[in-house]
Amino acid sequence: MANELAELKLHVRTADQTRRAELKLDSSATGGEIIQAAVDNWALPADTDYALVNVTTGKALAPNATLAESGVRPGDELEVQPVLVAG
Amino acid sequence: MRHDRYLRHSLIDWFPQDRVRAARVAVIGAGAVGNEVVKNLALLGAGAIDVYDFDRVELHNLTRAVFLRESDVGRPKASALAARAGEVDPAVVLRAVEGDFWNTLSLSALAGYDCAIAAVDNFEARVRLNRMCRIDGVDFISAGIDSRHATVEVFPFAAEATCGCYECHLPNSAYKRIAERYSCGGLRKAAAAERLVPTTAITASIAGALATSAALRLGRDAGGGARRVFFDTIAGTSSVAALDRRAECVGCGDLGDRPRIVPARADWNRRIADVPADSAVHTSDPIIVGYECAQCGDASRADRYVLRRALDFDDRIAICAACGKAGVRVDVRDEFAAAELARLYPEAPPPVKFAIARLPDEALCMDFEEKHDGQRAR
Repeated sequence: MANELAELKLHVRTADQTRRAELKLDSSATGGEIIQAAVDNWALPADTDYALVNVTTGKALAPNATLAESGVRPGDELEVQPVLVAG
Repeated sequence: MRHDRYLRHSLIDWFPQDRVRAARVAVIGAGAVGNEVVKNLALLGAGAIDVYDFDRVELHNLTRAVFLRESDVGRPKASALAARAGEVDPAVVLRAVEGDFWNTLSLSALAGYDCAIAAVDNFEARVRLNRMCRIDGVDFISAGIDSRHATVEVFPFAAEATCGCYECHLPNSAYKRIAERYSCGGLRKAAAAERLVPTTAITASIAGALATSAALRLGRDAGGGARRVFFDTIAGTSSVAALDRRAECVGCGDLGDRPRIVPARADWNRRIADVPADSAVHTSDPIIVGYECAQCGDASRADRYVLRRALDFDDRIAICAACGKAGVRVDVRDEFAAAELARLYPEAPPPVKFAIARLPDEALCMDFEEKHDGQRAR
């Protein structure tokens, strides 16, 4: 339980790297919550879908998994990438 | 086959021309990315390419589709693309399949391909093709674009049956977009507007190149885990992310290691009788199980709809023929107990592609479309 409540200092950025932030996040936060916060705070296009990738480890974060469950560690850099559906 | 045609390929010590020549690839979607994929496959000398698309060529397609011309406007995309791509290399066998792949591509036919590539423009088609490939153990590649980026997701199901699938990392918002195409009762909306995503030939060509390379496993061995390549065409940067499996995934969580596929159209009664009565059975398509007007109670037209595939209708059937109000309650389901399904369909199988029964130690896939002999059709 102690791990679930741990605070992580992370870097979050958009895929084009025009927006970056250093955040302190609870390890119980989910990838989906971080994406929603990025969309809201950075005014990212709301009609686009997004995924979160830990560029430090090269692993995608599952939308409903917590940072702890995804193995995110302090100092990791997370990238918000658009999910592309057009062909 | 004229071997001097592939002279430059033969100078590449890792280029597997024989494997490329033997490859059978299904390309789902004949739009911008589909054109690029087919172009690359044909130039490389792939053995057989089948192109699936239900749509017709429109003028605005021509800025991104390398094989389509103004004279093709109004023609089926798949046929227009296959006809012109066939001129690239006479040794490459191209086939066009017009219509929605969900209605034209069976599990047994899919099993005959080495790879299926989704070059479609919606999440629903990608989800469906992903599940079919996961069941069949066929490599699945999903390619997508916008105006700046290209992504190619690789799911090597043939070598790694239990690698992550397309749905393992699909955001919740994607399911909301799929749901937007349906009424709250589960029927397709007759007037659903499709979202138009701006794209260019630049992103399409990058996605097509990466997807083709992954499909033919150029420079790679089989497997390698599920992964997503993300390419930014303006910054010129790319990244690769591993897509790990999620046990609770709605796309693959019920499939176990590799489902056992059995033909069940001809001997439906025996197949369903072999499934324990209380086992959960998930049909590939939702089925209408109830039809009654909540306003006037009329159910006189229920026979027209009940026990048929919901996909064959849209939300206009929710308007009551008796009272004229949009008050018909249409019950749609895709989860049944085995005994219930056997009772509802006492003579013939349900009108769906396949059904997955979750047995204690395996997943059983009952294939209702064709006899499945487990062999890749060559």
